[in-house]
Amino acid sequence: MSLLLRIGVWLHARAENLLAAMLATMFAVFIVQIVFRYLLNLPIGWTHEISVIMWVWLVLFGTAFVVRDHEEIRFDLLYSTVSERTRRIMVVICAVTVVFFFAISLPAVLDYIGFMKVEKTAYLKIRFDWLYSIYGLFAIAMIVRQLWLGYQAIWGKPGDAIDVTRIKSGI
Amino acid sequence: MSLAFALSLGLITALAFMGLPMGASMITGSILYLLMRGQDMGIAAEQLLNGMYTNYIMLAVPLFILAAEIMNSGSLSERLLNWCNAVVGRFRGGLAQVNILQSIVFAGMSGSAIADAAGSGKMMQFMMTKDGKYPPSYAAALTAATAVIGPIVPPSIPMVLYALVADTSIGYLFLGGVVPGLLMAGVMMVQVAVTARIRNFPVEDAVPLRQLPRKTWDALPVLLMPAVLMFGIYGGVTTPTEAAAVAAFYALIVSVVIYRAVRLPDLYSSVLASAKTTASIGMLIAGALVFNYVVTIENIPRTISATLLAWDLDPVMFLIAVNILLLLLGCILEGTTILLVIVPVLIPTAQALGIDMVHFGVVVVVNIMLGLITPPYGLLLFIMTRIANTPMRALVADVAPFLIGLMLALLVFTFVPDTVLWLPKLFGYVPASASP
Repeated sequence: MSLLLRIGVWLHARAENLLAAMLATMFAVFIVQIVFRYLLNLPIGWTHEISVIMWVWLVLFGTAFVVRDHEEIRFDLLYSTVSERTRRIMVVICAVTVVFFFAISLPAVLDYIGFMKVEKTAYLKIRFDWLYSIYGLFAIAMIVRQLWLGYQAIWGKPGDAIDVTRIKSGI
Repeated sequence: MSLAFALSLGLITALAFMGLPMGASMITGSILYLLMRGQDMGIAAEQLLNGMYTNYIMLAVPLFILAAEIMNSGSLSERLLNWCNAVVGRFRGGLAQVNILQSIVFAGMSGSAIADAAGSGKMMQFMMTKDGKYPPSYAAALTAATAVIGPIVPPSIPMVLYALVADTSIGYLFLGGVVPGLLMAGVMMVQVAVTARIRNFPVEDAVPLRQLPRKTWDALPVLLMPAVLMFGIYGGVTTPTEAAAVAAFYALIVSVVIYRAVRLPDLYSSVLASAKTTASIGMLIAGALVFNYVVTIENIPRTISATLLAWDLDPVMFLIAVNILLLLLGCILEGTTILLVIVPVLIPTAQALGIDMVHFGVVVVVNIMLGLITPPYGLLLFIMTRIANTPMRALVADVAPFLIGLMLALLVFTFVPDTVLWLPKLFGYVPASASP
């Protein structure tokens, strides 16, 4: 295994650790909240804030760095039936489109996130530009990821067969 | 409908068809819209972030997913299956009846059909096909069909999502699912009883009734879970979101402390798997939040509602049309997408026609669940062909009778709103008047 690939695998595993930690934190503060409110009769607000922050970060961080495209919820009825060549063309078109629109909107998005520095959360006084910075990371990661997918589709080896049972759906 | 909206919708559809994840497709299409309307493109980020940050009830989704994962990793299902076998195994087609009974109890703990099929459903499949007792395709079809009940009997992830888009009480929606879920199980029990005689399915060795208390005691922590949840929500002890956390906590205590069946590495895998599922469903919610902003400024739901009302549509016709539309969409689309993108467009019309939102919600969720077992695109079918290693064609043939039975049940819930609303009314719900 090349060094670069090994670093990639290692980073992915750490990103997974972080993602699992976010959900565990969300769960733990919920339990703390329930204990405080119903057993100790002391309603607290900061737990609410942490759990919501974890939710926002979990989704954007997870989509950016952990969940692979074939595990996302998508419409693959057509995608899974066409030939390898057509599929590659489809991936390239999607990649170009996503990169274009995410890149063109990036300055406005960063502007918005920067603007949010004027607000702070109610209990923990966390600045919203920090809290929302994950969207900036997410947008950049989307661009990089789609560039990579497009590159793979043009020059890479054939991908794995589509496995519809790996789609993560909560229902 | 403006040109910008038409192009945006076209782009989303095209990207989705080409295999881009739904969430990313919706964000991309919405950016196109903002660009064409000359609006600030930062709005996409704003809608997504503020929407996610302020909709607290959505947190029930990851917690219910976590609860289901923990239950599946412990030996909860095993003990539950033993108990079910002791109760209904003695009848002809006993294991098939066990499959239905366990799915009701499981439905009372988990809110996800996919999790039910992958967890207890997988074990059921193994038990039913061991020693060639049942044809694999029949066992798989039944497991897929019984998993459908999972999100109809509370708790329910799709109902949380519906509550989000329809702004309805989760508590009453959950209650509304109880009778329909039990009726659906009843329909399948009758079907199994008939098929068992025709196809001469085996009877399990009857577990002596004296052993029943012992088996019940063994399974008691599992059997109590639905009660704990219901008490939490309807005893006014916890909010539904907190109840989701309680469910996960209870599952954790039962599997780790009482049954001692989960080790730390298993627990980590459960948490990670739940986190990935959460990210994936969360991204779809995020995309829907951005796109629903576009839909709202274009006034689409109201336009549709005005058009439909101008046709003098009566509620019954509308509900029939909705059923047909959702069942057809369910053949090709994933259920969460339908719930978050299509259903919000229908809601204003339903409201204008005086259809009760809890009744409508249960009908919609049953529809979407049936979409999980309708070919060509039914997630439960895909999962069961994989678990059972049986050809799709055989599975579809065996699932068809159940699908028809469940559709008939759906017709009953559609036209007799009291099947849905009876229980919520007992708990003080006041329905909208004109539900048929």
